[in-house]
Amino acid sequence: MEHAISDVGGALVVAFSGDIDLQTSPDARKALLSLVGKGQPILVDLAGVGYIDSSGVASLVECLQSAKKSGQKMALVSVSDGALRVLQLARLDRVFVICATIDDGVVAVS
Amino acid sequence: MIEATMSNVEVVSGTRLGVSSAAVHNHLELLADMGRDFASSQDLELTLRKAVERITNYVDAEAGALFMLSPCGLKLQCNASVGPVEINGLEIAADQGIVGFCVQKDTGRIVRDVSKDPDFNASVDDETGFKTKSILCAPMSVKGERIGAIELINKRGGDGLFGDDDLYLLQALSFSAGLAVLNARMAAELVEQERVKRELELAAEIQRSLLPIEKDSDFPVKGVNLPARVVSGDFYDFYPLDDGRVAFTLGDVSGKGMNAALMMAKTASLLRCLGKSIKEPGRLLTLVNEEVCETATRGMFVTLVHGIYDPESGYVRLANAGHEPPLVVGKDGSFRAIEAEAPPLGISPALLDEDGFPETEFNLDGGRLFVFTDGVTEGYVSEGVELGIDGLKDLIKASEKDGVESVLNAVRQLIGGDGGRVLRDDVTLIAIDDGVAKHSSTSALGTAEPGATDKPGEKILQLRVTAKANRLRLIRNAVRETAIFCGFSETDTADIVLAVDEACQNVIRHAYGSEGEGDIAIEIRHRPDAMIIILRDFADPVDISKIKPRDLNDLRPGGLGTHLIREVMDAVDFLPPPIDGGNLLRLVKNIRS
Repeated sequence: MEHAISDVGGALVVAFSGDIDLQTSPDARKALLSLVGKGQPILVDLAGVGYIDSSGVASLVECLQSAKKSGQKMALVSVSDGALRVLQLARLDRVFVICATIDDGVVAVS
Repeated sequence: MIEATMSNVEVVSGTRLGVSSAAVHNHLELLADMGRDFASSQDLELTLRKAVERITNYVDAEAGALFMLSPCGLKLQCNASVGPVEINGLEIAADQGIVGFCVQKDTGRIVRDVSKDPDFNASVDDETGFKTKSILCAPMSVKGERIGAIELINKRGGDGLFGDDDLYLLQALSFSAGLAVLNARMAAELVEQERVKRELELAAEIQRSLLPIEKDSDFPVKGVNLPARVVSGDFYDFYPLDDGRVAFTLGDVSGKGMNAALMMAKTASLLRCLGKSIKEPGRLLTLVNEEVCETATRGMFVTLVHGIYDPESGYVRLANAGHEPPLVVGKDGSFRAIEAEAPPLGISPALLDEDGFPETEFNLDGGRLFVFTDGVTEGYVSEGVELGIDGLKDLIKASEKDGVESVLNAVRQLIGGDGGRVLRDDVTLIAIDDGVAKHSSTSALGTAEPGATDKPGEKILQLRVTAKANRLRLIRNAVRETAIFCGFSETDTADIVLAVDEACQNVIRHAYGSEGEGDIAIEIRHRPDAMIIILRDFADPVDISKIKPRDLNDLRPGGLGTHLIREVMDAVDFLPPPIDGGNLLRLVKNIRS
């Protein structure tokens, strides 16, 4: 799993690629939490994530809660079918703001 | 002195001898008449009032009154009075005045001049303006039981003095009045007892209707309840759930009698109503506990076992709230007690964490489960000899070939004396018979696999790797290919991969501790109707009750993996541990045609 962070229209975008599982979720968690407290909205790009497990979902939930506390908005963008399925199974698809594209995400969080 | 005595004797004998035979006849007639009145009276108060009236007139007194002793024995109350002053309802201390004296000493008395008698209580005269000169008083008592007294005041005519014959007459009348009062009281008590008894019988009838209706003889759950009194503080229930499983409950309310029975009715109703929609025993008990705590009478509590049995798989999931440990009897005759891990219901609403009452899960595997109250083990099989837990085990062993019904019958007969013995406590027992041998074969993983006998399926994959996070991707790929091979859709395949991954994570994270290391083995079998995945680790057996899905309202991370597994698979079971140790988890995904 890899990740890249960029700034798009005032939002911090972290794009993951590869599987987020028990082995890689600690890195994903670290990357996500590094954006908390930066004062900008957060977009998590899951286009390249074909597989995410409960530990990956837990990292997303933790990031969302921390971001809320520090007053940052957060959205998931370009969520792959596989990742969306897991979010639905966990009934978290209504907890997260989920947008089709990064541009939609920028609008949603600004 | 002598003169006075002489004259006294003269007076007494004179009056007695002076009673003409006509007068005696009248006396007897009056007594007989009033005796009949008392015996046939529908309204005792009225009859007593009439009696006082008649005797007052007959003796030719100015006034008459009947006093009754209060139930506590401290007061005398006027129940009937005739004369110029109405004193009905008047209360005096039970030892006050001439009346009090006669009642306390249980003796009749003639007072010819009240002004010379220190026992006379002038307060009533002071209050009413009546002038009492002389008093005749006789106690009402039967066999030493003091009931009250009748008092006549101021004899008219003649010398204005009451004579001994007046006293004898009044004493005879008072006695039969006393008898009538006592009879009426006993009759009222009988009526009340009869009413209470009838009410108890009605309550018992309603209570029996709370017990489950006898199901077909091949229904796997059976029960017996023998109340120690008319009503019972014990209860049991079982009912099929819409998914084919069977919910069962057995409880024991502290105490016996009506209060326990009412508490039982409430708890049983709550459980039956909620139990049909809440299929997690631990969560159900948490809810019922809160309700019972909110409304229970102080000091009352309920020990209880509630569980769900799956006749298909033999799987039982139960929660035990402070109750006698249920007995699991293996097919091999081994016994295992399921100890309570939580306090009884009604003790405290906040004793438990958010997971609710701890649950225990196990597979009956063709064996039997017995849940019972201590009325069974502490019941006498003969005078002073309790059945005991060993006695119960013996009964169960002896019935091995005859089915659980024979254990129920043995309890009815041995402890209940077939209805002939007075029970020390309510006796209640339910039995679940997992019946026919379902789980017997041994798979490649060295274990019994449910369903293996009839449909073992074809083994597609067998994999054994070190339980490490960096092997998960390998496992996922292998499982994905296997699922595709078995013909699953893309979505189902992804779900299966997720479930196996999450199950393996549980092993990696929890099975071998932070330092330890071990293997994980996966076997996948393919049947026309399902894909069966068996996961094995080689660690110490886990406490299954701690692995369960979280309430999804609680979004905290953790525990989510178990939820995901249960969400996507059609069946998730822990199988009995293999002989050589470790844990077995079976996941089943049905193949839809």
